[in-house]
Amino acid sequence: MAQQRAEFDREFSGRLAAAASQGEGHAAGEAHAHEWETSPWPLVISAGILLALPLAFSFRFVYEQPLAAVLTLGIGTPLIVAGIVGWVREGLGGEALGLSPAAMPWFILAEALIFLSFFATYWVMRLAAPEWPPAGTVALPRVVPLVMTAILVSSSFTIHVAEARLAASDQRGFLRWLVVTIALGVAFVGLSAAEWRELMHEGFTFSTNAYSTAFFSITGFHAAHVVVGLGIFVALLLPALRGRLNEPFTRSASLYWHFVDIVWLFVVSQVYYW
Amino acid sequence: MGAALRSWLFTTDHKRVGILYLIGSLAAFAIAGIMAMLMRIELTAIGPDLTDNPQQYNVWLYFHGAAMILGFQIPALTGFLANYCVPLMIGARDVAFPRLNALSVWLFWAGILLALATFVIPDPPDVMWTGYPPYATRTWGNTAFYSFTVLLLGFSSILGGVNFLTTVFYMRAPGMGWNKLNIFVWSIVVAFIIQLIFVPVLGTAVTMLLFDKYLGTTFFDPANGGDVLIYQNLFWFYSHPAVYVILLPFLGITYEIVATFARNRVFNYKMVVYGGFGGVLLLAGEVWVHHLYTAGLPDWLRVGQMVTTLLISVPVGLLMIGLVGTLYRGSIEYRTPMLYALGVIFFFLIGGLTGIPNAIASLDLHLQDTYFIPGHFHYVMAVAGTFAIFGAVYYLFPKMTGRMYHESTGKLGFWLTFIGMNLVFMPMMMAGIEGMPRRYYDYAQFPQVEGLQQLMTFGAFVILAGSLVTLWNWVQGALRGAPAPANPWGSRSLEWTAAPSPPPPGNFPQPPRLGPEWSPYAYGERA
Repeated sequence: MAQQRAEFDREFSGRLAAAASQGEGHAAGEAHAHEWETSPWPLVISAGILLALPLAFSFRFVYEQPLAAVLTLGIGTPLIVAGIVGWVREGLGGEALGLSPAAMPWFILAEALIFLSFFATYWVMRLAAPEWPPAGTVALPRVVPLVMTAILVSSSFTIHVAEARLAASDQRGFLRWLVVTIALGVAFVGLSAAEWRELMHEGFTFSTNAYSTAFFSITGFHAAHVVVGLGIFVALLLPALRGRLNEPFTRSASLYWHFVDIVWLFVVSQVYYW
Repeated sequence: MGAALRSWLFTTDHKRVGILYLIGSLAAFAIAGIMAMLMRIELTAIGPDLTDNPQQYNVWLYFHGAAMILGFQIPALTGFLANYCVPLMIGARDVAFPRLNALSVWLFWAGILLALATFVIPDPPDVMWTGYPPYATRTWGNTAFYSFTVLLLGFSSILGGVNFLTTVFYMRAPGMGWNKLNIFVWSIVVAFIIQLIFVPVLGTAVTMLLFDKYLGTTFFDPANGGDVLIYQNLFWFYSHPAVYVILLPFLGITYEIVATFARNRVFNYKMVVYGGFGGVLLLAGEVWVHHLYTAGLPDWLRVGQMVTTLLISVPVGLLMIGLVGTLYRGSIEYRTPMLYALGVIFFFLIGGLTGIPNAIASLDLHLQDTYFIPGHFHYVMAVAGTFAIFGAVYYLFPKMTGRMYHESTGKLGFWLTFIGMNLVFMPMMMAGIEGMPRRYYDYAQFPQVEGLQQLMTFGAFVILAGSLVTLWNWVQGALRGAPAPANPWGSRSLEWTAAPSPPPPGNFPQPPRLGPEWSPYAYGERA
């Protein structure tokens, strides 16, 4: 780990020095520095988030005005998507320093704490309960979670292979393994959704008891992370189909995916089989 | 006009992002201040003065607390100051991820807008800034807006943390070792590590609150296997460290001001950084139970955390020694920013010392929920932090605007707010010892504190006058002040020595080159 870190540092300081010398000597770089740099996409994305999350949720669940909820969601979501598309385009075209693999561990630290908080809540509720599972719990599936585990763990390997193919400048191999990873991720989310449907059908819902509360919130948050990971992969895939590759960004995406995979091992051991 | 507006709305430059943070946080400060005035007027005399509806008072209290902490102090310190100062201090052209930085500031603005919706919706949130269940899951007020405001601001903070830690780790000018960083940069590094660890916990807690109230989950519903104490623990597990997220940057910028105007090196640099900041980082997550002494937690937890709470005064004491030691044998110049910095030392000392009785569980059983508690935390965090922010705005004023503010108007504003703050919060602690409970909108049972209450209301108006003078001075200075040189204070730090006022895009005309002897505090043996 420490060695990897040192390697990254060396590689990065070289890139930084190159960027600095380019900026100094290069006439275009000089002119560039006299303008304020702008990008409309951060503003577009945050407007989209404001509409699609707090406002749509409140219209639906607080004020019970479904039409307004659909409207805010319908405006907000395209804004977010457009913002991300524009952002990715700019990011691929610009002179990015490729620092994202160094930043991703900090983000993962924050993400890990979200899951830790949910697990801590679950542990407290469970250990303080007079009986477990509490009344109203249905039999959870035993086989499907194992299949899901196999799918997610193998997707961690496939994204690793994709990364190695990219490092070896094998563009087609990279695309192939990236698509396999996305397919595995989609299969995982599909199984998760089918399982939710079935449990809710049997009467095990958010409000059944403490177990259902923990079950749906933990598996739901994890599935949301898988969906975000898939979104990042699509943002890698679409430009890559047109030959625009980004190695540091691929590395960060893969780091994030490994993290989501590791969290799943906790989910499956704590929520399903304990 | 359109082009100018676009260059601000779409900006990714750290200086402009910082100023956008400053405008948003000062707006939050102004509106939260108006809420404080409304509460003070309501409490002037026994009986209803402005309203006879306690829920109205709850809404004021909610907005005052939430906006001051989440909308003003944290964004002003880790948004405005970090953005404006860190890249300039470390000699970088910008932060590591400029677009992400712009996303942070616009998410912060989204949070501010959502908080302002309090004044237009028919069911404003009334859950304090703490949002405790079961009240928060049963109130008529809109708890969703509270939760989402916290989530938006929290997400903004996490992105900021990722960005700034990467920036300081990888973007320092060649030759700038870790022991040559400005104290303020160090304080931001530690504050953001604390944010990254603890903000997600608060985010999770308010998400559970949201789910409980609107989706029917049972996290905090004891009838169905939940537990309200889970919320209180998760909430304070973040919200106590949040105090350090405010404290460290405000002490950090105070160090910069004190070193500059005392023309002196920072006293015991390594002890301040590794002992002070490092010690706070180590202990930050092990003291939250002192907010829950009366919540019914087991004794081993209360006594254990009483010890860690008292222990944290050691690193904080190191930080105070460093400040006072930097003054010692300095050549002190009493400009407006320096007055504010000295005000910070004064308020923080009183606030810190009045914290010790609260830290002791057996004493806190009696002080809990009296006016003594808000008196204490206003001194230690609210007032000291606000003075540091005001001082920092004055300190950076020539750099940001390229113009000078009016010196004696600045000093007038300082003295008015300084006297006003003491007139409010000293009587507040005295009323608390008399037994006046906090959060009451009326106090017919406590007629003995009416005189103190009137003194506090008078003090609040003095603060209002001081704030208006200060604001007027800033607006006047920005529009009509005399042009400022690059380094009006004679500082040795990079933002003053290597960049013009105001710095252009890209910050430095020439990339700063640091010799082996360079230090941001190289004022010679005795200046």
